[in-house]
Amino acid sequence: MKVTYSWLKNFVDIKISPQELAEKLTMAGLEVVALEKTEEDFVLEIEVTSNRPDWLSVLGIAREVSVITGSKLKTVNFQEPKIKPKDLWPIKISVSNKQDCPFYSARVICDLRVGPSPKWLKDRLESLGCRSVNNIVDITNYCLFELGQPLHTFDLDKLSQKEIRVRRANADEKIITIDGVTRLLGPEILVIADTHKPVAIAGIMGGKETEVTLSTRNILLESAVFNPVLVRRAKQKLGLQSESAYRFERGVDLEAVRNASLAAQELILKLASGKPSGFASLGASKLIHPVINLDVAYLNKLLGTAIPVLKVKQILNRLGLHVKTKTRNILTVKVPGFRQDLKLPVDLVEEVARIYGYAQIPQTLPAVKPGRKVLDKRDSICGIKNILSGLGLYEVITYSLVDRDLLKKSGINTDAGLIEILNPLSKEQEVLRPALFPSLIRALAHNLDQQQERVSIFEIANVFSGQVNAVAEEPLLGIALCGVNAFFTKQGLVRDEITLLHLKGILETLFNRLGVKGFDFARQEDNKINIIINQKQVGFMLDLTPQILGAFDIKNRQVALAQVNLEKLFDGINLGKKFLHIPKYPAITRDISFAINEDIPVKGLLVAIEAKGAPLLDQAKIVDYYQGKQIPDGFRGLTISCIYRVDSRTLTEEEIASVHNDICSLLEERFGIKLRIA
Amino acid sequence: MDLNSIQTQIEGDLAKIVSLPVLEEVRVKYLGRKGLIAELTGSIPGLPVEQRGILGKQVNALKNKLLGLLEEKEKTLKTKDSVLKKSNLDVGMPGIAQELGHIHPITQIIDEICTIFNRMGFSVVQGPEVETEYNNFTGLNIPLEHPSRDAFDTFYLKDYSKLLLRSHTSPVQVRAMKTQKPPLAIVVPGRVYRPDAVDASHLFMFHQIEGFLVDKNIRFSDLKGILELFAQSVFGQDIRMRFRPHFFPFTEPSAEVDISCIICKGRGCSVCGRKGWLEILGAGMIHPNVFTQVGYEHKIYTGFAFGMGVERIAMLKYGVNDIRLFFENDLRFLRQF
Repeated sequence: MKVTYSWLKNFVDIKISPQELAEKLTMAGLEVVALEKTEEDFVLEIEVTSNRPDWLSVLGIAREVSVITGSKLKTVNFQEPKIKPKDLWPIKISVSNKQDCPFYSARVICDLRVGPSPKWLKDRLESLGCRSVNNIVDITNYCLFELGQPLHTFDLDKLSQKEIRVRRANADEKIITIDGVTRLLGPEILVIADTHKPVAIAGIMGGKETEVTLSTRNILLESAVFNPVLVRRAKQKLGLQSESAYRFERGVDLEAVRNASLAAQELILKLASGKPSGFASLGASKLIHPVINLDVAYLNKLLGTAIPVLKVKQILNRLGLHVKTKTRNILTVKVPGFRQDLKLPVDLVEEVARIYGYAQIPQTLPAVKPGRKVLDKRDSICGIKNILSGLGLYEVITYSLVDRDLLKKSGINTDAGLIEILNPLSKEQEVLRPALFPSLIRALAHNLDQQQERVSIFEIANVFSGQVNAVAEEPLLGIALCGVNAFFTKQGLVRDEITLLHLKGILETLFNRLGVKGFDFARQEDNKINIIINQKQVGFMLDLTPQILGAFDIKNRQVALAQVNLEKLFDGINLGKKFLHIPKYPAITRDISFAINEDIPVKGLLVAIEAKGAPLLDQAKIVDYYQGKQIPDGFRGLTISCIYRVDSRTLTEEEIASVHNDICSLLEERFGIKLRIA
Repeated sequence: MDLNSIQTQIEGDLAKIVSLPVLEEVRVKYLGRKGLIAELTGSIPGLPVEQRGILGKQVNALKNKLLGLLEEKEKTLKTKDSVLKKSNLDVGMPGIAQELGHIHPITQIIDEICTIFNRMGFSVVQGPEVETEYNNFTGLNIPLEHPSRDAFDTFYLKDYSKLLLRSHTSPVQVRAMKTQKPPLAIVVPGRVYRPDAVDASHLFMFHQIEGFLVDKNIRFSDLKGILELFAQSVFGQDIRMRFRPHFFPFTEPSAEVDISCIICKGRGCSVCGRKGWLEILGAGMIHPNVFTQVGYEHKIYTGFAFGMGVERIAMLKYGVNDIRLFFENDLRFLRQF
């Protein structure tokens, strides 16, 4: 809502500068978002909250100015003019449903001259960003901005039978609005009609056919109240916004409707001559004014203040409310028509606090009763993020809404099972994502485009799937790795291409750190590797296929990807610690190096060695591997450390010699391995 | 010469030694073939029988003592020598370390804010992103057909009537209050969604943190106290704060909260639009109608609630000028946090 400094001065004496006024209004809840100096005036742009339709007028804001500056508000109450019987025009109004239109009034003015507006009128409208049309239209707009009551004028001679019918539109009825657009109406839309057809969409916009033009001689001036919900629905259905609709959907003051009509007539007679030729109205023009009891003790208790009763009373009075003292602490407050937002005592508390000044309310600290701290999922997620970032990964955050194309490119079937957004603004908001990895691939591809040599990223977020009448949200961990780890050693730079084994290492470290027991990785037929915890699949990891890499324009790179279901991972987390004593007796380590056919899974090998070496063998583990020179094609060079140790004593060389020989024989006999160094 | 004074003399000699060759000289002087110990040992056969055993033991002890002292001195001298050797390390060469990753700045801000409220006794609670129309609107005193809803433009789901993507974190207020009895002290971080046209300060998805405190005797002054503590914890203790009256359907009285501009310290600059103030959150006393919706007796309980945009806080704190940067996930951006 825009107002000018000089326009406000029509209603209230202002002795402070526009800047000071802007500051005061802002601190009273009318945030001045812009203060613009024009040639001879200042324009204040005020953000009016949706609960205060009374502030959508110069008068309403002037009323507030009078409250905060203490100056008196100057208002004019117009009187109905006397009309000679010979000039009286019979006006016929009907309203089909009082709920739709609680009050309708029409005024006829005849023999007027439509023409351009005087400069002062044009200037005022233009300073608010309203285009001048002609004196009649401009006057109705002027009254709308000044008093907050939307008005409409019809060319009386174009109304068939000179009759007004306020009714719902029929199905398939149409109207061409003054903006020249043909609009299809329907029974949910309230219209103003003559005996034949709709001539205006009630409270939103008039019709082209009956608009006031330069040739208009006689007009019908409408001033009414329409059902806010109805106006809002119609406006939304038609996609049509207007200054009138904006005010009607927020609610106008029924008791000010007639005065606005009179004010407009006064201006019309002044600027376009003409003669008043009758007035008719339908509906109640008076409201029942609600009464609210305000307990000042409650007010001070809620605010944490000690505002005296007298001060409270004074503030409410200045706001235009009628206050009576009921008992020492209890005030009876009668609410006028322009303050329909005031319903409960707490609404009055806000009014008092607002004018008293939020800045005057002290600062205190409440006694918070803290709850018991239990480790929850958020703690686990924080832990996971810390571990992963410690391992060199970057956390990313990507959109939960995605486009179908992204899913298709990632190899996800988009024909069924997706949760679609009803009202997306763009293609990027089509569906709720069913998986994390498509967004991760996109983020990864973006970074490769930016010449990043290594992209190691992860995200923890929900994915969505449809259930019967419900949507399931499932938190997932997604990891995507690509590129080269380049790091210094004492000998210089080492470049290490990232593979699935790096991803496995990250997951192992993560699981170990979270105390997850019994995890495993199992390769499937399709090269997918299942991540398993306690025999249950919790996720997968894989190398992206050339098709998907191609779809994302990733060239000459491998991308390793993992997705883990967090709820299932949470089940396996065990952060309880139990101390195991540090071995008292030393271990004896024997390394075995050999070449093995790469088709033989090393896990089976280690399991067999450990079984054979029990109970003296504490652990067998791979400490080195190699492929290349000296190792035949299709083979892998391995070094396995056998660590012998028992808890009760120091082992001797003799004791382990026979066990170790057994292990070597096992490797030769069962796995056909020729040992390089025994 | 008695053995005690010999030992004292030896210790004196050793203390003066600063190099290995001199140490060797001392060793020969005492332990050599013609040294003091050999001389003493040689003198034993000439003594009366009853004294031989005693002196033999004493000389042996002295010899062992001497051996120990020499060994110790040798060690000291050797280490001293190696330390003195000139290092060829050029500390200008790159250090060797495992590179760390980065936690997203939005997560960092959320964690920071949650920690601040944790310290004040608030617990962190989360809620679903797909919400019911009731929890997102009706339960929060937002009428379905009123312009007050325009501030909460919402994505709806196609095949699920009454389900939507939450447009704020406030539905968690309804959820928490419907399942728990006061007192409640809760903060709620999470993703929220609004069909806003995308530009440098608007996105269709962003993060909010909601907080609320419900008990007997919670006052507006408490809200002011808690929020100032919060703002000064995040932005520094010199920050000033102001509460402006505002309207939210779920609070009454309501306020928008500004902090003095962290860039210009309130003098007015381009970041604060020459106003000297930056809006950072919305807050107020929980509306009695919300209490009625969740079944709390509003004559007994009062409470406050506040909500803030995490991206907004992060942008102000880090000087980020385009909200889209947070979701582009460019490593060159993420690496800075």
